[in-house]
Amino acid sequence: MAYIIAEPCIGTKDTACVDVCPVDCIHPAKDRTYDDGRPTFDEVPQLYIDPTECIDCGACVPVCPVTAIFALDDLPEKWQGYVETNKNYVDSGEFQRDKHQRARS
Amino acid sequence: MSTLREVIHENVREGALFEKLDRNWVRCFACGHCCKIPEGQPGVCKVRYNRGGSLFVPWGYVGSIQCDPIEKKPFFHAHPGALAYSFGMLGCDLHCAYCQNWVTSQALRDPAAVAGSMQVTPAELVHDALRQGGRVIVSTYNEPLITSEWAIAVFKEARAAGLVTGFVSNGNGTPQVLEYVRPWVDLYKVDLKSFDDRHYRQLGGRLQPILDSIGRLHEMGFWLEIVTLVIPGFNDSNDELTRLAQFLASVSPDIPWHVTAFHKDYKMTDPENTTAETLMRAAEIGKKAGLRYVYAGNLPGMVGDWENTRCPNCQSLLIERYGYLIKGYFLTPQGCCPSCAASIPGRWDPAFRRQITDRPFVPLVRSQSDFLVLDF
Repeated sequence: MAYIIAEPCIGTKDTACVDVCPVDCIHPAKDRTYDDGRPTFDEVPQLYIDPTECIDCGACVPVCPVTAIFALDDLPEKWQGYVETNKNYVDSGEFQRDKHQRARS
Repeated sequence: MSTLREVIHENVREGALFEKLDRNWVRCFACGHCCKIPEGQPGVCKVRYNRGGSLFVPWGYVGSIQCDPIEKKPFFHAHPGALAYSFGMLGCDLHCAYCQNWVTSQALRDPAAVAGSMQVTPAELVHDALRQGGRVIVSTYNEPLITSEWAIAVFKEARAAGLVTGFVSNGNGTPQVLEYVRPWVDLYKVDLKSFDDRHYRQLGGRLQPILDSIGRLHEMGFWLEIVTLVIPGFNDSNDELTRLAQFLASVSPDIPWHVTAFHKDYKMTDPENTTAETLMRAAEIGKKAGLRYVYAGNLPGMVGDWENTRCPNCQSLLIERYGYLIKGYFLTPQGCCPSCAASIPGRWDPAFRRQITDRPFVPLVRSQSDFLVLDF
């Protein structure tokens, strides 16, 4: 199980979640360059949680100013698609180039 | 009536293991998560929290107390037969689905975990430990690292009273917390739960900080023993157990490694209970990796010679056990093999001072004047 960032993050991208995450599994971080060609902070509509690296601690949930982050079990039905959206950006620390581009086209 | 969270937030004091950051944030060093915590929020453990730009930590209560044989912790190479007065607080930095102490460890995370606590002073705890006949006092049941400030306050009193001190921990430490506890902690048990980072993340942590801490604990001179609960289908592959045992042997072949049997608990009810065959397979892997002291636990009488301590040099029987019971003790007063004089690593007493108990028992019923029982 992992935590999921859903629709309210779009256009917000507050990054308090990135600051509190103890395992740096929320991407893309602001002012960080990645060497795998992934879209950077300014180029993505929202932030994403790597479902394999997430340790399920929940530290990101209370600091989100727009209540965009949910435990898988608590994710509202209308946002179930965000499970894939998160996983399609980065998984096991690796940018999911094909999945991400397919999802956004 | 106070909620558990309110009670926990009242029994605190300013901690020692943190640094102040800008924006009134703090960074905690009590465990390997090294949480960066904004004002008003707790860390991952849910018991250390930022109030006004400072870190407040658990203080002045215990969640549970029990007297156990030291072999139950388990320590097999430290004061055999001694009574270990064991106390815990509430909370944990991990959330293992098979936790056997989940009522206290997950009290702040899982509404089904309804735990109590009682207010107590370090002096009262040490007095009680002595009254029970304890020779060792151990912080256990919840993760001791996240309540280190309180444990050290208790251990300072305990040392003055002649007690040996110990942590029973998941090992998810930091250099800062290990430096902080080193002067006051004699014995340290680490539960190395897996050798796969993905598995550790399912439990709520990462593998690397735990491996780093094991190396540090050995270097810093704590008496270190390692336990691995062998769970069928989760961590019992030959490959994973071999890599784990080889890592321990690379730190030191003298570290005792206990492989113990899983039984269904808390949320992990799918794997079958560990068989004696699986446990003995794990023990063989440990021996083959070069570890000199490997023990199979939780299945008394079913694992052949794997409960006993033998001299790695001449194979003489040194300590014979059945579960937590010492059936025979043959070490010399200096902790050596009586046959070949090989020195056996550990914290040995000059003589076996009889077995105080071979089973856990709860401390004597105490009066309300001894402890204020919190009502919630």
